[in-house]
Amino acid sequence: MQLSVVKLSKTYGRDVHALRGVEVNLGPGVLGLLGPNGAGKSTLMRILATITRPSSGRVLWNDADIAGSPDALRNVLGYLPQDFGVYPNLNALEFLEYLAAVKGIAAGAARRRIGELLELVNLTDAAKRPLGGYSGGMRQRVGIAQALLNDPQLLIVDEPTAGLDPEERVRFRNLLSELSGERIVILSTHIVSDVEAVATSIAILAHGQLLAHGAPEALLASVSGKVWEVIVPSADMNALRQKHLISSTAHRSDGVHARVVADVAPGREARQLEPSLEDAYLAALAKQRSAANGIAA
Amino acid sequence: MRNSIRAISAIARADFLERVRRYSFLLTLLFATLLGYAAATGRITIQLGGYRGVYTSAWMGALVAITTTCFVSLVGFYIVKNAIDRDRQTRVGQILAATPLSKSAYTLGKFVSNVAVLASMVVVLAIAGVLMQLFAGEDPHLDGVALLSPFLIVALPAMVLTAALAVLFETLPILRGGAGNVAWFFVWVMSIALPEITGRHWLDPMGVVTVSDSMMAGARAHIPGYKGDFAFTIVDKADKPAQIVQSFHWQGVPWNASQLILRLGWVGVAILLVLLAALLFDRFDSSRWFAPPVRRPKQPAVSSDEDVSAVAPLGGAVAGRSGAHLTPLSNSAPTNAFGRLFLAELRLAVKGLRWWWYAVVVGLLVAQFAAPLEVARGPILGTAWMWLVLVWSAMGARESRFGTEALLFSSAHILPRQLPACWLAGVAIAAIVGIGAGSRLLLAQGWPGLVPWLAGALFLPSLALALGVWSGTGKPFEGLLTALWYVGPMNHSRGIDFTGTGSGAQANHYALIYFGLSAVLVAAAVFGRARQLRAN
Repeated sequence: MQLSVVKLSKTYGRDVHALRGVEVNLGPGVLGLLGPNGAGKSTLMRILATITRPSSGRVLWNDADIAGSPDALRNVLGYLPQDFGVYPNLNALEFLEYLAAVKGIAAGAARRRIGELLELVNLTDAAKRPLGGYSGGMRQRVGIAQALLNDPQLLIVDEPTAGLDPEERVRFRNLLSELSGERIVILSTHIVSDVEAVATSIAILAHGQLLAHGAPEALLASVSGKVWEVIVPSADMNALRQKHLISSTAHRSDGVHARVVADVAPGREARQLEPSLEDAYLAALAKQRSAANGIAA
Repeated sequence: MRNSIRAISAIARADFLERVRRYSFLLTLLFATLLGYAAATGRITIQLGGYRGVYTSAWMGALVAITTTCFVSLVGFYIVKNAIDRDRQTRVGQILAATPLSKSAYTLGKFVSNVAVLASMVVVLAIAGVLMQLFAGEDPHLDGVALLSPFLIVALPAMVLTAALAVLFETLPILRGGAGNVAWFFVWVMSIALPEITGRHWLDPMGVVTVSDSMMAGARAHIPGYKGDFAFTIVDKADKPAQIVQSFHWQGVPWNASQLILRLGWVGVAILLVLLAALLFDRFDSSRWFAPPVRRPKQPAVSSDEDVSAVAPLGGAVAGRSGAHLTPLSNSAPTNAFGRLFLAELRLAVKGLRWWWYAVVVGLLVAQFAAPLEVARGPILGTAWMWLVLVWSAMGARESRFGTEALLFSSAHILPRQLPACWLAGVAIAAIVGIGAGSRLLLAQGWPGLVPWLAGALFLPSLALALGVWSGTGKPFEGLLTALWYVGPMNHSRGIDFTGTGSGAQANHYALIYFGLSAVLVAAAVFGRARQLRAN
């Protein structure tokens, strides 16, 4: 089971480059795809889900180009788009039955699977209520259930925790972890803590370019020894921000505790900290920004 | 006051820009151009008992202005009746609702935008009027006032009224959707026929009777034996052209102050309608009217406030674990399951229909069995199929309307399975609702008698599917089927009557045409859906 993305580019109109030569190889596990808004994550997800065609480059599913035979991938694909609709007059059970028929799942298997999925996403009690009366979080859970209908080998979830409350978010992460054993899961988000919890590998996308791809440990190693805590008076915070990349701050009685990512200690009092993925992610984005500014200059 | 005007112009400007930057706006202008071309090439004419006057500037202006009021008001309504719906769909409405913007400023802004779109079509047709007179060359004298005044005095107020009614329809929940699209056809017919029905010629929102009265007065003076006929028609090449009366140089309606005030009065009526719409507008809060009909489970009963909290969160109570227990699907390849997909499409098509909808279907079925065969297979069958308009109009457009494209189009074999299942469900519904007339035709005339019935049952869902796929909305089908039903089964226009009334070779001739059209429409739907699957 392998998904290969080869020199993938997508351009809208003449000069809007959503993706620029993205290359990545994936095997079973959870890929956490991180990037700021507008980085090209959803475009990449839509191309991988065969909804959108790339301007150039290829996507290979088990060495077969999905542009030539999209149905080979669609048969084993589960896709939860960032934004999707439902038929408001159908209830969850009927909606999932409809999609099971669309996906060609045998009747008996579909019935059993839908029952289990409704239980999994805790919609059994609401299964016969029209979807038009569902809350945003409940709809999102229907979306999660439909993505798992055909027991997919490739599960693509685009901002899946949008609309879920914190408790539901934690449970969804756990669900992804448990599902990831024998399948490829691609989790696109800009919430680092979602990725931190479940990803076996991480990719960072910004301005359509892949900035980094590797195991979380490798990403953490890139900022090892570069994360510091400094305590400064509130009044000095702006000066500190202008000099250094600050990943978080907390106001305390002795001043502002700032978490700084820097190659050298930002002051004599600076204390070295264990790096987090958030630090590594922000450092990668900052590096890309300064490289782009350098080119522009 | 100044702030209100700024708000109205900002709403109108944003809405107009959003519209003109869409591909569909070009189609709108193309429609106006085609109408202008039809008038310029003599396909649309005014005849007075088989005669017409010389193509003066006034005649040309009146002809194209009436073309505008009749056709652009009918089609234009469907084009502009989406200003508020767009804000609902794009959720921009929620943002606007949270601002101090007044409801009247909002509806007036949308109204102004509607007027601007319709006026742009009037401008295209006015240009066509000028070109038409130049090409016809019957009267070399180009009189700008005579040519353009009908557009200003007749066509524009009609467009203003149409724009206002579109806003009003959008603010009334019952007329917001497909029912409003069907209702508009009858409102439009009524607005043209109003002076004749009431016998009060001043009660003429479309201005057609005002112009025709003036032309007929001229005809009485110039055409010997003229009996007062006035026909504004689309002519076929095979039809006999109108004879030109060389001495009849109609110089236009001699507008007097009271007539001008009457025309201006319709603009006032339009503004009142928009203000009424502001009163009725729910400000994007549908609960102001009524809650959507949600069928509750028998137990447990919960109040609407409890809806969200009553449902346990994702993954149940197993803390830290998802509680996942999924039986793996067998490794066998996905089945075709076409029969199940067909049933699922059938259920999707009729889901949400209320009991009274089914009661009307039963009534129409009883009528098909009880009425004389010619009535049962004609107007009653036509009405039974017309009753399906809102069921069919969702075909092909449902995915776009409800935003389920990403879920469906990422599934395998969608084109050879889902689209045929959807089409077949539409045909099955036509057959079920028309089974009374169908079975009687079969018993009375054998299989050949069933051919026109079958042609109709195939044609209508095919038309719905093709229009739905290509437009992404049910509006074109809703408007077109209503017009076809009115002209065909209800007014017995051969060829347009999709129930295939008539017998023998002629009925079979039209049936063959409908079979052919159905095939073309299904092919168009498949091509359109394939294009969507390859999109971007």
